[in-house]
Amino acid sequence: MRVSLTINGAAFSADVEPRMSLAQFVRSEVRLTGTHIGCDTSQCGACTLHVNGVALKSCTLLAVQADGAQVTTIEGLAKDEKLHPMQEAFRHHHALQCGFCTAGMIMSALDMLRREPLLDEVVVRHNLEGNICRCTGYYNIVEAILSGAAEMRKTSDTTADEC
Amino acid sequence: MFVGQPLLRPEDQRLIRGRGNFVDDIEFPGMLYIGFVRSPHAHARILSIDTVGAQATPGVVRVLTAADWAAAGLGRLVCVHPMDFTDGRAMNEALRPAFAAHRVCHVGDVVAAVVADSRFHALDGAEAVHVEYEALPAIGDTGRALDPDAPLVHPQFGTNLVTEVIKGDKTAVEAAFAHAAHVTSLTVTSNRLIPSPLEPHSFVARYDSALDETVLWATNQMPHMLRQWICQYALFLPENKLRVIAPDVGGSFGGKGSFLPEISTVVWMARELGRAIKWTATRSEEFLTQTHARDHVTRGRMAFDTQGRILGLEVDTTAALGAYLSNFAPSIPGNSYPQTITGLYRTPALWIRVRAVYTNTVPVGPYRGSGRPEAALVNERLLENGAREMGIDVVEIRRRNLLTREQFPYRSPVGRTFDCADPPRMLDILIDMASYSELRAQQKEAKRQGRLMGIGLAGFFEKSGSGPSGNLARSGAHHGGYETALVRVHGDGKVSLFVGTHNHGQGHEITYAAIAADRLGIDVADITVVEGDTATVPFGNGTWGSRSISVGGAAIFRASTAIAEKMAAIAAHRLGCDRADLRLEAGAYTAASTNQTMTFREVATAANRGFGLPPGLEPSLECTISHEPPDSNDPLAIHLAVVAIDTSTGVLSIEKYFTVDDCGVVINPMIVAGQVQGGFAQGIGQALMEHVVYDPASAQLLAGTFMDYAVPRASDMPPLESAFIETPAPSNPLGVKGGSETGTIGPPAAIVNAVVDALWDGGIRNIELPLTPEVVWRALSQMKANAPCV
Repeated sequence: MRVSLTINGAAFSADVEPRMSLAQFVRSEVRLTGTHIGCDTSQCGACTLHVNGVALKSCTLLAVQADGAQVTTIEGLAKDEKLHPMQEAFRHHHALQCGFCTAGMIMSALDMLRREPLLDEVVVRHNLEGNICRCTGYYNIVEAILSGAAEMRKTSDTTADEC
Repeated sequence: MFVGQPLLRPEDQRLIRGRGNFVDDIEFPGMLYIGFVRSPHAHARILSIDTVGAQATPGVVRVLTAADWAAAGLGRLVCVHPMDFTDGRAMNEALRPAFAAHRVCHVGDVVAAVVADSRFHALDGAEAVHVEYEALPAIGDTGRALDPDAPLVHPQFGTNLVTEVIKGDKTAVEAAFAHAAHVTSLTVTSNRLIPSPLEPHSFVARYDSALDETVLWATNQMPHMLRQWICQYALFLPENKLRVIAPDVGGSFGGKGSFLPEISTVVWMARELGRAIKWTATRSEEFLTQTHARDHVTRGRMAFDTQGRILGLEVDTTAALGAYLSNFAPSIPGNSYPQTITGLYRTPALWIRVRAVYTNTVPVGPYRGSGRPEAALVNERLLENGAREMGIDVVEIRRRNLLTREQFPYRSPVGRTFDCADPPRMLDILIDMASYSELRAQQKEAKRQGRLMGIGLAGFFEKSGSGPSGNLARSGAHHGGYETALVRVHGDGKVSLFVGTHNHGQGHEITYAAIAADRLGIDVADITVVEGDTATVPFGNGTWGSRSISVGGAAIFRASTAIAEKMAAIAAHRLGCDRADLRLEAGAYTAASTNQTMTFREVATAANRGFGLPPGLEPSLECTISHEPPDSNDPLAIHLAVVAIDTSTGVLSIEKYFTVDDCGVVINPMIVAGQVQGGFAQGIGQALMEHVVYDPASAQLLAGTFMDYAVPRASDMPPLESAFIETPAPSNPLGVKGGSETGTIGPPAAIVNAVVDALWDGGIRNIELPLTPEVVWRALSQMKANAPCV
């Protein structure tokens, strides 16, 4: 089946099997491999990306269901090599170890910021329910999200991640 | 000085942009994919395998079974750390098959493989393989594996026993128990876990017929060893014809050191078919083939004198190793576990028996802590129950038993010598940080209000750093304990470090760079670190047992020191001064007497061109050191958990958690704190929720996805307060000890102790892991049943 969508601002089409997930599509067809597949069952959130401005787990969404959508992946966040404030915060707070969950964490963080403008530790922890990190114990991830959110408020950049 | 600074990690620049290079990210044109057919039975006879439907499936290129493996004359997977019976008998060795031939022995056992032109077609083909089984009785319950009527996993042995390791002095222990004022007895179960790094296993292989070379990209933490295993035991390839690359690896925790049955087939097919080929596990396949961990059942007894001083410890453990021996399995309960069983306490007499057993379950292997969490759980549960039974405060009983600084080096009754530590100081810091007496007051107040609060501790050693090759060989290992580093100064003064360890989240790049930069007198930004490629990195034993920095870091320290000395000799010669007259500051050598300078880069260029060097000095600035550690090292920690229990639901809440660590000299405090936090999350997992459940009757796997195997999420993590002391390890020039496993070792023991503390007055003396609300609720119900009617 033909799937046409916009990824990080660029149009892309391909003929794929109907059973191909959006995560597989983004990784193997578009060859943007920053979106990862960790569990196949929407539990771990490593595959989180934004579809029409909303965070979704792309391992349980078929590519054909995203036909015509605007998709943003981790690769679409840094502008002209300049890191997004949330990416910068993850780096500065040692919020990643192996880095496998990180794209999903950052995409979820930006989505929670869209939904919950006033973040505190409890809200962040609650909103990370759908993202597993096996390395960090989450302490530095929570700090990074709060810090990245504060930085984004300073620059009023809360919606700038969507292309 | 860069050592001691919380420097940020260079690899984060690519990882946060989504530009990491993980194995499943690698694709080649015309690549093939493998799907594996796995046993749905825990134990069954294979009556027939019909591959006709699979062969006819669109896109399928090849279908493989045990018959094909045998016809190709291929070998076996290997167990590189066997453990023979203490009485000298050889262990009962049943290795993992690449393909089960006549019998399947666990759910997930590989029966066939299908190679096809896409992932989907490989799965279609695998579904079309029809296998006829005759189900056999299975054993899934570790505690029953040695019962006379237990089904035998491997009938040829006449028993499910793999090996029996006995250490200590039976007579001394019997005497200690005979004279004891008090004896505490417990049965302690260490729940079966799965390491669960977030990145599933993935292997890509590509054969270059022009060079007759195969490249394997592997999710792996010890690529040189993996190459050996594939070449020497499984496929009989020359080692110089296989290059193993472990690129970015998404966590491992010991799990990705396992020699999985699927790996060799990927390499074999790449060579056979001459095309690139990939296998990436689904999460469910991870549960079916990735080595599991823990799964001990232990009967323990501790003898005390009237003052609560430990007189003796007796431990009798049954440790499940699964259906076959994974490459490291026997050494975990047989070697690592007994070594730390007496923990931080003077234990005059010890007797320990470990019986490793086969069960119809996925093979067991290393996982963060590997033997030490099991040991700490037994030792610390017995100590705290003993204290409560004797009416002694749990901190006070530790004060009476802790080894003191002066007693190190301390030779424990199991025969291991522990290098250096100051446990009483750590306990002081811990109880001060936790405001222990205030906590006890709060507990009293909670009780008055009808709430349940508990406090528990756990202290333990974490043996780390692998130790010298000779020690490993004496304990049965077929691999070394040394590590190799190559330091190369390029002609422009930039530096590359090549190290035989592997980084999969631990931040080796900046840690190694800091060690070398301090020796060479340059900026960390001028140093690049290369790991995980057998073609460019000298042979190394990889990353496991918290050995990277104490062994690999020591190799870098020594090689960098040698390079620095050579560069100083060149600079002194060129500046016409004595070596003693030379200063190295801010990347330049200065002759103090003349104030003439030569930059680090100028010295590097001279060495590279081989011109103007002191007579007799060889050109080039490269140094390779294979560092043989004279000893392993002994990090330690003491933990304190504060819990509250909801009496109506059994929901356990960890209110606060405190850790004090001694991992020797800290190279990068940001990374070490991160290791403690991350390790702690895995400890919380074992304590509260993680459990690979098998149906006891059928040995069917019941927890096979992240929907039924719970790992901690952000909201599960309690407030954590950590402190560190530094007692430099004497066995390496950096003074470092392992720093990444203590967080995982302590929580099961500390948290169970805290829960038992909360429930003690209700008559509860023991409780099973993991402490799910159901388990705690059952204990609460038992308390209500025990309580006198009012």
